[in-house]
Amino acid sequence: MSFLQPLALIALPLMALPIIIHLINQQRHRTIPWAAMMFLMSAKRMSRGMARLRHLLILLMRVLAIGALIFAISRPLSGGWLGSIGFSQPDATLILLDRSASMEMQDLQAGESKRSTALKRLAQLLEQGDYGTHLLLIDSASGQMQEVDSPKALLNLPMTGASATSANIPSMLETALAYLKANESGRAEIWICSDLNENDWDIHSGRWNAIREAFAQLEGVHHFLLAYTDPPSGNLSVRVENVQRWKRGNDAELILDVMVRTGGDSSGTRRVPIEFEVNNVQSVVEMELDTLGASLQGHRIPIDAKLSSGWGSVSLPGDANPLDNRFFFVFSEPPVRKAVVVSDDKRIGEAFRRALAVPLDARLQHHADVIPVNRVAEIDWENTGLLIWQGALPSGLVAEQIAHFVNSGRVAMFFPPAHHAGDQLFNSHWGDWQSSDPGQVSKVAWWRGDADLLAHVESGDALPLNGLRTYRYRTLEGTGTPLARFDNDAPLLTRVSTDHGAIYFCSTLPTAQFSSLERDGIVFYVMLQRALTEGCLALAAAAQRDAGVGVLADRDQWKSVVSAENTASLSQRELHAGVYREDEYWVAVNRSQAEDNAKVSPVETVDALFDGLSYRRIDVDVGDTSALASELWRIFLIAMALALILEAVLSLPSRKTEATPLIDLTVADGSTE
Amino acid sequence: MALQLKRDYLNQKVLERLSTLQLHARLPMVGNVSGKHRSPIRGSSLEFAEYRKYVPGDDTRRLDWRAYARNDRYYIKEFEADTNLRMCLIVDTSGSMDFAYNGNPTGTGGEPGLSKLDYARRVAGTLAYIAALQGDAVGLYCAGEAFHIEIPPKRSATHLSVVLDELGTMEASGETGLADILHETAERIPQRALIVVISDLFMEPETVRNCFEHLRFRKHDVAVFHLMEQNELDFEFDRPMRFADMEGGEPILADPTVIGAQYRRAMEIYLASMDEVIRGTEVDYHRICIHENYGDVLARFLLGRTPKRQK
Repeated sequence: MSFLQPLALIALPLMALPIIIHLINQQRHRTIPWAAMMFLMSAKRMSRGMARLRHLLILLMRVLAIGALIFAISRPLSGGWLGSIGFSQPDATLILLDRSASMEMQDLQAGESKRSTALKRLAQLLEQGDYGTHLLLIDSASGQMQEVDSPKALLNLPMTGASATSANIPSMLETALAYLKANESGRAEIWICSDLNENDWDIHSGRWNAIREAFAQLEGVHHFLLAYTDPPSGNLSVRVENVQRWKRGNDAELILDVMVRTGGDSSGTRRVPIEFEVNNVQSVVEMELDTLGASLQGHRIPIDAKLSSGWGSVSLPGDANPLDNRFFFVFSEPPVRKAVVVSDDKRIGEAFRRALAVPLDARLQHHADVIPVNRVAEIDWENTGLLIWQGALPSGLVAEQIAHFVNSGRVAMFFPPAHHAGDQLFNSHWGDWQSSDPGQVSKVAWWRGDADLLAHVESGDALPLNGLRTYRYRTLEGTGTPLARFDNDAPLLTRVSTDHGAIYFCSTLPTAQFSSLERDGIVFYVMLQRALTEGCLALAAAAQRDAGVGVLADRDQWKSVVSAENTASLSQRELHAGVYREDEYWVAVNRSQAEDNAKVSPVETVDALFDGLSYRRIDVDVGDTSALASELWRIFLIAMALALILEAVLSLPSRKTEATPLIDLTVADGSTE
Repeated sequence: MALQLKRDYLNQKVLERLSTLQLHARLPMVGNVSGKHRSPIRGSSLEFAEYRKYVPGDDTRRLDWRAYARNDRYYIKEFEADTNLRMCLIVDTSGSMDFAYNGNPTGTGGEPGLSKLDYARRVAGTLAYIAALQGDAVGLYCAGEAFHIEIPPKRSATHLSVVLDELGTMEASGETGLADILHETAERIPQRALIVVISDLFMEPETVRNCFEHLRFRKHDVAVFHLMEQNELDFEFDRPMRFADMEGGEPILADPTVIGAQYRRAMEIYLASMDEVIRGTEVDYHRICIHENYGDVLARFLLGRTPKRQK
């Protein structure tokens, strides 16, 4: 239990006062000579049990009354979870605030969101208690640590406001850990305010072990989790999965794929109006939702043919979370999908070119160039979406150009050279060629079908990788993540982790000498087209991005067209949903898809993440701004009054029974007459 | 009989008032001189007792010639013998007899500071005086562990003076030896006597029963003054106190508000048991609160013993 006036607890030994007084009184009792001792002893024998108990109870009540008074004066704070704090004060208090979009779930009656509720309760608690010499805030949106003057200031800081971002709790804990280690803080309290969103917590990440072990080495660090453990309910979220602008004769239209998700608690079907706004023109479509929600595929909205680019939004009626009721999108004319194949082998280059030049959609313009390695300088990096590199891994300037190319959101795919392996690139380099035994082929034993280049098609059918025959492949040594593996665990396709864009390494070549990629065609075509599509997203003048730090960093003069939040801070605007424009470029910033899923991590799993650490989870309800730790002095005063009343009742002399006089002089004479 | 009274515990007015009353034995006494009490032996008083047949050797002067004339038989006419009595005063001088509650919390109006021994002294002295006045022998036995007196009954004025002096000097202390002295008295006094016991009888009722039955078995007339102090009965104190045993036992710290009911219950049981003892042994029992006027108590005692035929 913590106390606002802990010094008053020094008086606790006064609780022994009644016992001391009792002992002194025993020595100071008036002594009277008494004759009828036999009756006194008999009476004591008769009343030994109850009288002793009553006496002890009276003493106990007096002790309790004094104890309660001292506790009341020391102004205790409620909350069994505060028990672990003890009486010591922290040197630093770190607040890890989850500002993700899902934290904006509101209690409609109270008008308070999960984030604001947690902030208010935490500020109130810290205001009452002692938060040490440093009060630090780590907000999930920026991930930065900032010193806060006072708990009350937390309520007004822009860094504690709503955002459309996702949170990364492990990363925030690592920031806190770095601070504690760097400053060698003694006792510290870490308060995490979160709704336990599965995506934010990333509970299956291997980072948790390292975090847990690192915190275990620090002494005096207490973790408190203000958690919203109830799954969200009564909330709908809307998202535009895809937006395309097509010309249709002299007209133009937007084709939208819209997804509406329910909180998972709705039963039966219901109809919800969806409002579209494009170029200040609103239209409403009613969608029928089932328990999981609904998707609206290929919804067409006619637009002015002269409107080559612009923005729009899709809105839902108001519900528990206002932040996921509107989704912004931007559109522009689709760019030319340009790919460059770098290969010294014309036959192989041609195989790539054929697969890349055939468009998925006839309305799209595809263009693929095949150039030898020595003409790399001719590549138009700016307007290329996909680079196919079949040759020795480059180094020097070319390697830097490729890295810049990838960092700008494009895709690079590397295929093994026939002879010289080249240098290491992106922490990977080619090994030796491996050939199958005569009459044997290497078959794909596993591939990732849920995402990336080899994902199942929309109908759910898997790509026919089972039928792919590989005769020769080159080993790859590096840190990439395999997307497909042969039966001997050697990777066929590997993706190297990057912040932007994508890098793939494929271990074999498409021609018949190496594999059946070209001959079977389907896997080869789909793989290259998907890579081209991903790479060409960066070529479009309009882009959809998830809110977060740095999403507007690629251009200097982004101007806000529309924003869900009125924020004057340039550093904060990229954390909110909105539309930004610079010349012909448009970007729509929205919450990430993970925030719409809103799956709550099981509390047992979250608790397990803090195994071995000083940790306490405090379950709170959204909208409940009652104090986390209210003062308990009233309860102690009532307890004291009750103890005194009980003491008084127990001390009352027993009721006298109206008895006949023990000596009746008229009948006592036992005369024998 | 003229006595020089210098004993301050005796009250002249009470003595004068009670001198008009006589102390009677409830049972025939065997005295050595003529007195006012019935004797089991036929004597020469004016009180006719019975006729009996003449046997050779009888004094012919006591033949009833008129009866011979009527019946032609010889009858001896017998008369009651009046004799004196021996009164043994047995006073309990145990420590508990020194009890006097000065605070008088119950407002019973007693004489402040008057102990049970003081009261016993007055009762015994007055009774001794009355007995001596009517020519009876008076003896005194003190039943105390520390204070032990044995004065066999005699009927001289000098002896009375000795008894009264001893009464004046006796002190209460130590445990009671009443049971022993009663048994001893029952055995040592060979002839019938009036045994007057003055005590608070803080003993087990069964012990008291044995003593009384022993005395009654020896044909003694037993009278008991059971002295109690009102506070011993009521036990009304309003705060915890340390009760020091007046007979030398361990003190007891007790809260009367807590154990008062049990104390009174124990007292009730004791008194009820004592009533049983009295009914069984047929002693002349008087339960007395010492705030009562001892003159009234003795007057009631003396009147209660007056033979009915004289009423």
